[in-house]
Amino acid sequence: MIYGDKNVGVIVQGATGKQGQFHIDLMNKYAREVGGRGVVAGVTPGRGGQEVCGVPVYDSVKEALSEHDASASVLFVPGRAAGDSIMEAAAAGIELVVAITEHIPVHDTVRALAYAQIEECGVIGPNCPGLLSPGELKLGIMPAHLFERGNVGIISRSGTLTYEVVNELTRAGIGQSTVVGIGGDPVIGETFVDVLARFEEDPLTKAVVVIGEVGGNLEEEGARSTVLPIVSYIAGVSAPPEKRMGHAGAIVAGGEGDARSKIRRLKAMDIPVASKPSEIPGLVRELI
Amino acid sequence: MKLLEYEAKLIFHNHGINVPKGILVSKDEEILLHLHDIGNQLVLKAQVDVGGRGKAGGVLMADEETAVETARELFSRKIRGLSVTRVLIEERLPIEHEYFVSITLDRASKQPVILFGDTGGVDIEKAARDSADAVRRILVMPLLRNVPAFQMRELLGDAPEELADSINKLYHVFCDKDALLAEINPLVTTPAGVYAADAKLIIDDNSLRRQKIAVNRDLSRREREAEKHGFSYVELGGNIGVIGNGAGLTMSTLDLIDHYHGKAANFLDVGGGADRKRVCYAVKLLSGLESVKVIVVNLLGGITRCDEVAKGIVDAGVSQQVIVRLAGTNEAEGRKILAEHGYKMLDTMEDAVKAAVEMAE
Repeated sequence: MIYGDKNVGVIVQGATGKQGQFHIDLMNKYAREVGGRGVVAGVTPGRGGQEVCGVPVYDSVKEALSEHDASASVLFVPGRAAGDSIMEAAAAGIELVVAITEHIPVHDTVRALAYAQIEECGVIGPNCPGLLSPGELKLGIMPAHLFERGNVGIISRSGTLTYEVVNELTRAGIGQSTVVGIGGDPVIGETFVDVLARFEEDPLTKAVVVIGEVGGNLEEEGARSTVLPIVSYIAGVSAPPEKRMGHAGAIVAGGEGDARSKIRRLKAMDIPVASKPSEIPGLVRELI
Repeated sequence: MKLLEYEAKLIFHNHGINVPKGILVSKDEEILLHLHDIGNQLVLKAQVDVGGRGKAGGVLMADEETAVETARELFSRKIRGLSVTRVLIEERLPIEHEYFVSITLDRASKQPVILFGDTGGVDIEKAARDSADAVRRILVMPLLRNVPAFQMRELLGDAPEELADSINKLYHVFCDKDALLAEINPLVTTPAGVYAADAKLIIDDNSLRRQKIAVNRDLSRREREAEKHGFSYVELGGNIGVIGNGAGLTMSTLDLIDHYHGKAANFLDVGGGADRKRVCYAVKLLSGLESVKVIVVNLLGGITRCDEVAKGIVDAGVSQQVIVRLAGTNEAEGRKILAEHGYKMLDTMEDAVKAAVEMAE
C-alpha cells in the first residue's frame, strides 16, 4: 500500500460536477466494500453547504479540513482551474493530490508542481486514472472489479491500457499490490522513478510492470533506478513520427523517446519487454 | 500549435524584443506600395510551416528593385510540398554575430530549460552534436518571474552581456504565452542592438483558448469533423479502421495490427464515456474513409456499457465488417444485440485484431 491503506481520508475537489459526483459514489462504494473511510468531504467553490451522494460539500479545502480528517485529494476540477486547485490542496495541508483532470495548460502544471513541492505535497497526474490498492484504497476512476489483490505493482502512463493489463494479469491469476496511473501529460508529478522507490519500500510488492508510451525517457530512468524485478510494455511502436496520438506525451520528436529505441534501451538493461499486452502475465510469472 | 514566423515576431515585438523592420504580403498584393521604409537590402521569407525552410529554397535575397520579381518567384515555388501564400519582406540586418537561444520544458526536472549557443544559424544541431560546450543550458525555477542574473552569466559565458535582456524577454514570452517552445535562431548582434532574425513559437494546445489564438492547422476534412466531436483522430493510410478508448489502448491496438502485419487506416480515440451516439458517429466517420475494408472496435472501461456501444454500432449500420471487443458493464446484453444483427463480439483485443487483419487481406 504505497499510498496508504483503507484508513486514508479522502476529499474530492470538483465534487459537484458530473464526473465528480459519479466517482465519489464509486469510490465510496469501494470503500464500503473493503471497510475503508473513503471520501469524507467534497469541495467546490460557491457550492458550500450542498451534499453529493451523502458527502458534505465545502467552499474551500481549508474549510473541509477544519471539519474532516483527510490526507488525500482527488481532483476533477476543469483544466483551466486545476493548477490552482492543486496549490490550494497543498497549501491546506493535503499530503497527496491525485489529479484526474486532462487538458491542464502545461505551464499551470509546472507552477503547481513547484508549489506543491515546497509544501511537501505529492502529486499524481495530471491526466491520469489515479491509483488502486486492491482491498484497501481507491483514489480515482479505475474500474475496481477488474482488480485482484496480490504482489505485482503496476505503473503506467495510460488509463485504459492499464485496465487491459490488469485484466490480463487477473485472468492469469496474478494479483496486484498497487496500480498507479501516473498520467499521460509531458510534465507530471510522480514519475516512474518516484513510484518505483515507493514500491521498493513496500513489503507486498515482489515485481513491477512498467507500462510506457512513446515520448521522453522516464521509463528507462525508472528502470535504471530500481532493484525490483521489472517487466515492461511500451505502446506506440507503430506510431509514425511527428503524429500526435491522443496526448502530448505521445509526441515523437527527432527519434528521442520513440518506442523502438525505448524498447532497445530497456532490453539493454536486461529488462523483459512484452511485444503485446497478452505476453505480460507470462513474463511476470518468470520473475516471481 | 506552431505559429508562423510573422505571428511569432509580432508577439516578440510586443514583449520588447527587437525584430527586423518588415511587412507581410499576400500573393496578389501590390508589393511595391509597401516597400518604402524597409530599406534597400531585403530578405524575403516564405511563411510556411516547415523546418529547414532556407535550405528548401524558402528564403531569397533582393533589393528594392528586384523585390517584386523575387516575391513572384517565391510565390510560384512549393516549399517541401507547401504552396506559398504569404511572404515576409524584411530589412537585411547588418549582422555582427549570430547566436542561438531556445526555451522549452524539461520533462525530467519539470522546469523550463534555456539553451544558448555561441554560434547560431542553420547548423546549430550539428554544432551541438559535435561539441558538448557549443550549447549551454540552465534550468529556471518555475515560480520566478525573471531568469536569475547568476544563471544568465552562466548561460552567456563570454557572449556579450547585452544579449541578456532579449533572453529574459524571450523567457517572459515563453511563460506568458503558454509556449512549449520559444526559440530565436539566429539571435544577432548589430550596430543598432540585438535582434531576433528568426522566430519560432509553439503554443500549448490546452491554452489556445485563454491565449485567444485561433487554430489554423492543416487538417483533413475528416480530421476537422473528428475534432468537433472531441475525438483524437489521425489518418494513417491503411485499410483497417480502428476505434478505441484511451490513447494508450488505441495505440496498443495499432501496434498489435502492425504485429500481425496488418495496416491501420487511422487512430481514433473516442475518449471517456463512449455512449451510443458517439460510437455510432465514430463508426460512420471511419466507414467514409475509402480505404477502410474492416473496422475494429476495442473498448475497455469499467463504466462503458456494452449494450450502449452495441446499439451505436448497429445504428451506424455501415457496409464494412465491424469486429468488436468490449469489456465493461452489461456484456451479455451487448453480445446479444450484436449477434442479432450479425456482428461478432470477441473476448480479447488479440482475437479481434487477428480477425480484422485476416478480413482485410
